[in-house]
Amino acid sequence: MNIQEYISSGIVESYVLGLASNEERQEFDQLYSIHAELRQAKQAFEKNLEQQALDGAVPPPAVLKQKLWNNLGLDSVGALPVDKPAGGKLAVLTPVRSFNFAKMLAAASVILLVASTLLNFYFYSQYKSSAAKLDELIASNQQYANNSNLMQAKLLQYEKSFDLIKDSNMAVIAMKGQPVSPQSFTTVYWNRQTKDVYLLVNALPKAAAGKQYQLWAIVDGKPVSAGLLGADANEGLVKMSNIAKAQAFAITLENLGGSKTPTVPIYVIGQI
Amino acid sequence: MSLKAKDQQSFSYLYDNYAGALYSIVLQVVPDKDLASDVLQEAFVNIWRKIESYDPTRGRLFTWMLNVTRNLAIDMVRSKAYQNNQKNQGMPENDFFEKAGNSLQLSVDNIGLRKVVNKLKTEHRVLIDLAYFKGYTHEEIAEIERLPLGTVKTRIRSALIQLRDYLK
Repeated sequence: MNIQEYISSGIVESYVLGLASNEERQEFDQLYSIHAELRQAKQAFEKNLEQQALDGAVPPPAVLKQKLWNNLGLDSVGALPVDKPAGGKLAVLTPVRSFNFAKMLAAASVILLVASTLLNFYFYSQYKSSAAKLDELIASNQQYANNSNLMQAKLLQYEKSFDLIKDSNMAVIAMKGQPVSPQSFTTVYWNRQTKDVYLLVNALPKAAAGKQYQLWAIVDGKPVSAGLLGADANEGLVKMSNIAKAQAFAITLENLGGSKTPTVPIYVIGQI
Repeated sequence: MSLKAKDQQSFSYLYDNYAGALYSIVLQVVPDKDLASDVLQEAFVNIWRKIESYDPTRGRLFTWMLNVTRNLAIDMVRSKAYQNNQKNQGMPENDFFEKAGNSLQLSVDNIGLRKVVNKLKTEHRVLIDLAYFKGYTHEEIAEIERLPLGTVKTRIRSALIQLRDYLK
């Protein structure tokens, strides 16, 4: 068979356009694989056919592409129809805007995080120093309270002493230092009505270890113990034993726990 | 080939480039624009789904898409629903070959392949119209045109050779 005659018979066009019968198609397929000229002729016609169709293109309705994409369940972003500027613009703008918005959000949250961290440090240090100050204040407040209690106790004691002293029934016996301790001086306040005895230590040497002072009432020439003086008994009036009757008071230094009879020397003595 | 991977972007590119060309082919078979749009959509659905069956060694992609599209258009025209609709509109079934070269189809007469076909002599043009745009077999055309089958074949071949020259 002359391939040129075959080609120019119109079989190529008939085949390409789908007008050839089954027998013609089978014959064409066989010759097609053998003859390069046939392949070239077919390719040339297909190319021309395509060009003709492109030249005569009629734009389909603009909505058709979106309908098709929806129909196929395709992602419409990135597959924007060229002939849909409005839809395209919207679809392009939206992700850009949301991207910027997301970026801004991220930036804002980072700034907020940093600011919040700094504030946290600031408030924490503030809190720490406030807590320290509060502790100091509590401590000093406690000290003031203690001092105040102490002062109040002292004040009460002085008030009590003063009340005792100003009592009209109170006899004041000044006891003068004797040769063993001339600088010593004490005062006994003796209530004639209640027979209460209070001792005020104005000045006495500190008692030696294992010793303590003892107050004696001299009743009809005989000494009667009126009680022992504690080591802390050098502030205010100290309540001693009741003495019903006496002519004088004297203080001696005795062994701890006191004695039944006084030992010499007498430190101070005063007549009523 | 990226299209075989069903790459959406390639498909989008394909649509943008060829939808117009294929739409003009559909319009030559189905003049109604709404119906033609439906056919075109169906054609691209088929192209998307059947792209695997396209063999690049057997011809150009456009030729394959053209035949997919043309076959769908012809199926549409030949469907009972379409035929009934045409009847209801008072268009006798056997009237179409009389109108093949008629001005009633002016809207599509001057586009694409039809424009080339219109350059043919009437006796050739009618046969190409029946064979290519209406999808009739040579035997059917012989019956419709009351011509010997051999004459139909010869005329169609002759028409195609002229078409090839017009397309160059």
